[in-house]
Amino acid sequence: MAESQQPIKNRLAYTIADPYEWPITKLSADKELFLKEVIEKTEASIFERMHNAQLLHDELKGILYKEKNRLTKQHWKSDKPEESIFWSEIKKKILETDKIENEEEKYKKDKKLMHKILKHYAHEIVANFDPKTHKITRKILPWVFSRLMNASPGNRLRFLWASRKTIYEKLKITGPIEQIRELSKKGTVIVVPTHFSNLDSPTIGFVLDSIGLPAFTYGAGINLFTVKFISKWMNDLGAYKLDRRKKNIPYLELLKSYSAVAIQRGAHSLFFPGGTRSKSGALEDKLKLGLLGTAIEAQRENLQKYTEESAKKVFIVPVVLNYHFVMEAESLVNQHLSIMGKEQFIYSKNNLSTSFKVIKLFFKFLTATPGMTVSFAEPMDVLGNEVDNDGNSINSVGQKVSIKDYFLLNEELNEDKQRESVYTRRLADKIAVKFHSSNTVLSSHLLAFAAFEIVKNQNKMLDIYELLRVPEDEISISKNDLKEAIEKIKLKLLELESDKKIKLSKQINDNTDSIIKHGLKNLGVYHSKLPLIKKDKHTITTQNIKLLYFYHNRLEGYKLDKLFA
Amino acid sequence: MTKLQETYGVIGAGSFGTAVANLLAENGRVLLYARSKKAIENIKNNTHRNQDIHENIEVTNDIESFCKQCNLIFPVIPSDSFRYMLDDFKPYLKASHILIHATKGLHVEHNLGEDVVLKKESVYTMSELILKNTGVVRVGCMAGPNLASELALKQPAATVIASQFNEVIDEGQKALKSTRLRVYGSNELRGVELAGVLKNYVAISAGIIAGIGYGENSKAMLITRGMAESIYIAKALGYNEKAFLGIAGVGDLIATCNSPKSRNNTVGRYLAEGKTLAEIKENMSEVAEGVKTVQIIHSLKNYGFKSPIADILYRIIFNDLSVENALEFLMRFPTSEDADYIS
Repeated sequence: MAESQQPIKNRLAYTIADPYEWPITKLSADKELFLKEVIEKTEASIFERMHNAQLLHDELKGILYKEKNRLTKQHWKSDKPEESIFWSEIKKKILETDKIENEEEKYKKDKKLMHKILKHYAHEIVANFDPKTHKITRKILPWVFSRLMNASPGNRLRFLWASRKTIYEKLKITGPIEQIRELSKKGTVIVVPTHFSNLDSPTIGFVLDSIGLPAFTYGAGINLFTVKFISKWMNDLGAYKLDRRKKNIPYLELLKSYSAVAIQRGAHSLFFPGGTRSKSGALEDKLKLGLLGTAIEAQRENLQKYTEESAKKVFIVPVVLNYHFVMEAESLVNQHLSIMGKEQFIYSKNNLSTSFKVIKLFFKFLTATPGMTVSFAEPMDVLGNEVDNDGNSINSVGQKVSIKDYFLLNEELNEDKQRESVYTRRLADKIAVKFHSSNTVLSSHLLAFAAFEIVKNQNKMLDIYELLRVPEDEISISKNDLKEAIEKIKLKLLELESDKKIKLSKQINDNTDSIIKHGLKNLGVYHSKLPLIKKDKHTITTQNIKLLYFYHNRLEGYKLDKLFA
Repeated sequence: MTKLQETYGVIGAGSFGTAVANLLAENGRVLLYARSKKAIENIKNNTHRNQDIHENIEVTNDIESFCKQCNLIFPVIPSDSFRYMLDDFKPYLKASHILIHATKGLHVEHNLGEDVVLKKESVYTMSELILKNTGVVRVGCMAGPNLASELALKQPAATVIASQFNEVIDEGQKALKSTRLRVYGSNELRGVELAGVLKNYVAISAGIIAGIGYGENSKAMLITRGMAESIYIAKALGYNEKAFLGIAGVGDLIATCNSPKSRNNTVGRYLAEGKTLAEIKENMSEVAEGVKTVQIIHSLKNYGFKSPIADILYRIIFNDLSVENALEFLMRFPTSEDADYIS
């Protein structure tokens, strides 16, 4: 489990040279059979739940009601015009079965109807993968990336002749990359990154390509599929569509089956287990379990279908993305505060709802960002065990173990949903721990944390909501206090680092003055109101305390605030 | 003899281990792991610890073959030896094993003493100890008012099996249930374990009350307030009160506080006679879990719970406080709202 501490310097060669040999390409070529399997799996699960005509018929009516509502009251640009025709037909059919008195016949008709709906959903969700689109994208993107990242504002001319290799100077990719590459040849890799920004998806996509892994399949909000050519482009790159407005059980079951079957078929997948972006700016510790559970399910089904030697193994790889600057920080933290309740924070709605806006933002971000780090954690199996370079599982007491054992009851491999739900929670906990241990402290995070703790201490009587309403011009942090605080935190951080509970960026080893200087230069620099700014020679203040809070939260969960209690 | 499908394992041939083995033997074949030659000899001769040995029980001291033959294993040994037992069994235990322990004690990695301050992270229940030291993941515990001597007499009783995994509860129920034992289930594993542990020191206190010669009023006061105190401690450590109101909580408390047969109760009686801990240790083959429990509670200093009964008991055992002074102190302790642990 050797870890390459040095960030990669160049793009690595693909582990499988021919894109036509990639699992995702094969899956795409076999799309109809794949969908058939997905639908059958979904049906098995929902008909077990809705085991009589009454239950199934009620569900169908419920779906129809919600879908009609969606089309009228929650209409999005991405909704296709033929959808209302489809649902009108379903309505007609439901009314017909309403009249059938024979329970058996009614159940049979309703099953057919459910099948039709599932098929409709499945074709909406399904991703494609076109090696040609991928090839073109792959040629263009790095060029765009490197040029944009070099062209800081006011330096537009460099845009033209910036050299390509500098991209990995700004985008630092670290972790056990060789091991991950090896494992991708032996089994199915599931990458689970932290989620702070809409830019995480394109960034992680680019990063995975940079380390030479075959393309991943991933879920993307259907709201991003508005502009036709972008929609096709995303779809051709392996994105499947998720519609968060659809909350009916069959739809959710279908998504889970989709993911489980794709994993079983060896398609490397990308989940954002935090669900939506972290609104508080803190690392996720309560992870969404739905899709994560499909990894465990897929692993068990592989073991049921094949012998242990030939069953594909599923590997989980947590990834932490660290930015000095999150473009959407302001609207995210406002949403966080309004969800937390207590205060009526008025905020402009986060309007990044279309793919075009996201791409625009992405370009802006790349030109603006002072750099970022992407740290891969050590891979695990679906039970959260460490794995060695050959993919063998090593349990918490250092024994080489067979994962089949975890699914055996009295020597028989069986399906037990409750057991798997406990395993899913355990896995989520392990991922959260890895998020914290792979988190890389940037100078700006340390600075923001120290500054916010000082402000908190200056206003001990206020709760967090009151604190965030203190007028910014009343806030003043002396440089000496800041230095003292940073030194105090740094000691604890070094301790955490030697316990492998966190990672520190290079700047943290500099002297305190340099950390402050580097942090101030980089912390959320492109916000119109800065989280921290020099007031005079000896004092620092904030122009937006909520932003300072957001960036400070990045170091939540390490009990560092106790240093100031 | 009918054909038996399952082989259940029991680790530890103390009186409770033997009783559990006898219960299991009604539903399957049982392998009983014992270390001492004398115990093995006794069991082979069909009487051990004043109990007849069921014909379905086989005794063994071969760990490897024991682990190969049993998928469902019940460790029933004192908390002080639990860790060492796990070290011995670790090489042969796999993730396919299910372990349901019946040990009402805690494990601490540090030495205990007057000035020791413990964090809750360094205090382990037996299930946590199993998870930490072996590759087993499916763990559970068995707890409740199960005095070995009464189980041996085949008197009716109830017990609870707690685990995060429903299959562990199901398997445990299948293995244990009979016309004389009702087996309940719970997903509150840590709560049930803690309820079983915390009742130990209340039982010592009940022994003291009985030893002085006080009657039922005093004992009832002690039991209810002891339960309240246990709940305050559990809540401060992050658990809820549910398990304490069930079989493993109030059920076990009533049984142990009333039974002169219980080891904890006996310690209390000796203390009432003015014996010191060292003297008590001379009289008993194993020291009651409750002594260690009060020491641990004493060391969990930073969790802000009030535990007057445990505090006073600690001072009786370790600081030579006289029983009379202790009682006076307790009776003067300010009262709070009754049953304030239920919200």
